Amino acid sequence: MTALLQILFDALSLGSLYALGALGIALIFGVMRLVNFAHGDYIAFCVFAMLWPSIDAAAIVFAGNLPTVILVPFILAVGAGLSVLSEIVVFRRFRNANPATMMIASFALGFVIKYFLLMLYSSRPKSIDLWSNLTRQIEIAGARIPPLQVITIGVTIVILIALTAFLKRTRFGLEMRAAAENFTMARMLGVRANRVIMLAFAVSGMLAAAVGLILVTQTGTVDIQMGANLMLVAFVATVIGGLGSLPGAVLAGYLIGAATVIMQVVLPPDARPFRDAFVYGAVIVMLIWRPNGLFASRAAKQRV
Amino acid sequence: MKSFLQLGLGAALGALMLAAPAAMAAGDKIVVGFATAQSGFMQAYDKPAEDAARIRIDEINKAGGLLGKQIEIVAADTKTDRAEGAKAGLEVIDKGADLVVVSCDYDFGAPAALAAEAAGKVSFFLCAESVKAGIQGVGPHSFSASVLAAVQGATMAEWAYNKKNARTFYRLLDTWTEYNKGICDGFDWQLPKLKDARLVGEDTFKNDDASIAAQITRIKSLPQEPDAIMLCTMMPGGVSAVKQIRAAGIKSMILNGSGMSGSYWLSATPDLSNFFVPDQGSVHGDDPNPKVNEFNAMYKAATGSDPSSQYVYPGYVMIDVWAKAVERAKSTDADAVVAELEKMKDEPTLFGPRTFTAELHHQNKGRYLITAVENGKARVVDEWTISEPIPVDYLASK
Repeated sequence: MTALLQILFDALSLGSLYALGALGIALIFGVMRLVNFAHGDYIAFCVFAMLWPSIDAAAIVFAGNLPTVILVPFILAVGAGLSVLSEIVVFRRFRNANPATMMIASFALGFVIKYFLLMLYSSRPKSIDLWSNLTRQIEIAGARIPPLQVITIGVTIVILIALTAFLKRTRFGLEMRAAAENFTMARMLGVRANRVIMLAFAVSGMLAAAVGLILVTQTGTVDIQMGANLMLVAFVATVIGGLGSLPGAVLAGYLIGAATVIMQVVLPPDARPFRDAFVYGAVIVMLIWRPNGLFASRAAKQRV
Repeated sequence: MKSFLQLGLGAALGALMLAAPAAMAAGDKIVVGFATAQSGFMQAYDKPAEDAARIRIDEINKAGGLLGKQIEIVAADTKTDRAEGAKAGLEVIDKGADLVVVSCDYDFGAPAALAAEAAGKVSFFLCAESVKAGIQGVGPHSFSASVLAAVQGATMAEWAYNKKNARTFYRLLDTWTEYNKGICDGFDWQLPKLKDARLVGEDTFKNDDASIAAQITRIKSLPQEPDAIMLCTMMPGGVSAVKQIRAAGIKSMILNGSGMSGSYWLSATPDLSNFFVPDQGSVHGDDPNPKVNEFNAMYKAATGSDPSSQYVYPGYVMIDVWAKAVERAKSTDADAVVAELEKMKDEPTLFGPRTFTAELHHQNKGRYLITAVENGKARVVDEWTISEPIPVDYLASK
């Protein structure tokens, strides 16, 4: 029983991280059909924003020393700012381009951000101790649960509820959904499309920042590649969830997290190095079963 | 704007081409060519060892040179790219390199080393720790300046068994690199030789795993905490793994390879204790050999900062042993130098003895300092040399 509870918590904590990442990608895709591959680099950028630029091996913590109440909004603002900036400087110019072109542009943007960080901070991973009391574990019913896991799970649920309410209940949300359905038509009907898209980018950037903060608290490591693996998983999650569907992305994030943890637990030692092959094998089976993902949104289907 | 950039680039290239012939080797000097990464992510790993190599070259030049000739350095950038690596190798050979120094990592250094091999030149990997970095992967003129990863795993296991009374071991392998696997291979070879020592469990993870909660659960569910966890990993995932293991309240001693050497990352785990790494020399200012501490001061004077990890040192060792071989061969001819290098048996260097044979141009045995981290502070506590070398057949079969 305790073992099951432990697996459940391990799966939920990894899944939450994936879900938050997937949410950031699904949001942008929903509004403008862009798979933003620079999202992983936003994550790294936000975390590096806590350090003073230097190519020394030891990290020089700068903004990271701010009190939590200022640090969190600051990093969220960095994420939102970078994301909005990339929309204004790059993606706005591809408004009428096809999705493949935009995707390539996002790859290019990701490289630019990565090499910018490489230039300022060098390729050596740096270490930082952020909120380490959040990773000290407490025992509940025999299962070890670090407060960070609880916070991650809580934050994910709150963000999901808030985003859903925002999209369903507010004028901006309505405009966003309208823009997602048919961008040209929405503009003709008076939706200020650029503002809507900018807002989506800002929220997506904040999600990247939140993921960055959780990741760095957990691992203590700042690395220019740190967002890459998560970005890949998050992208796969948005595809399984049904491109453009926010609840789908979140659910799929949790599914991949759970699958990864369960594979790690049940596979024999010799097969464990190939854990991800089994996880992605399951993804393929899933996509054969439901090619449009779990919750295919209407906007994502091909219109005839 | 675009044409301006192109113009600038063209001018820079032109200047480079003009500069090249001037660096051509003449008969009155010996040329060491660095085909290493001066840009891209490998740069951060190549540069420290390269700086150490330059320090040794300066020392030799100041003492009157090698065979009465000054050593000149030429360099070409591999740009952390394998195709560029081969070109960089050819470029330094064109500039007359007698010794071709290649990137630290086997995969990134091999293209330049193969170019050197094809041209019949001696090549040295700055700090590669795979058995392939040498005869097995490149050819009879290729060497590595470091010690095999497997020796690190074997050293830690034997030391912990003898000095820390460790009997139950847990093996946690990060499957990211061959280096990591090499550490665990050495551990696997050593463990059965230790009477009463046993493996109580094993697991794997990936360097970029966001969480290793499931792996930790497996350790926690053992009936008894193991005496030691052999952690075969490297930066940056290693820090994350150590942080998560300790946060979960697991107090077993953690044994590592040299990939976790240095104190620059300890800020991630402020009160880490019972943590051990093998080091070829100490970067913490407490090496039992005062000459190493003197070297650290020289390194700081030359580069502006202390050595961040033990991976600085192989660069110095490399020039040291190669120059000795050149002296003894009285020539820079590749075959003569290789023959002298292969005669070295426990050749003393600042960072432990070196042995090269006709079948292995790498160290399958070596003296290691044992550095302990207690309360977030690293210091040398012991030194250890494995009781017998790891057989070449075993290494090659892995």
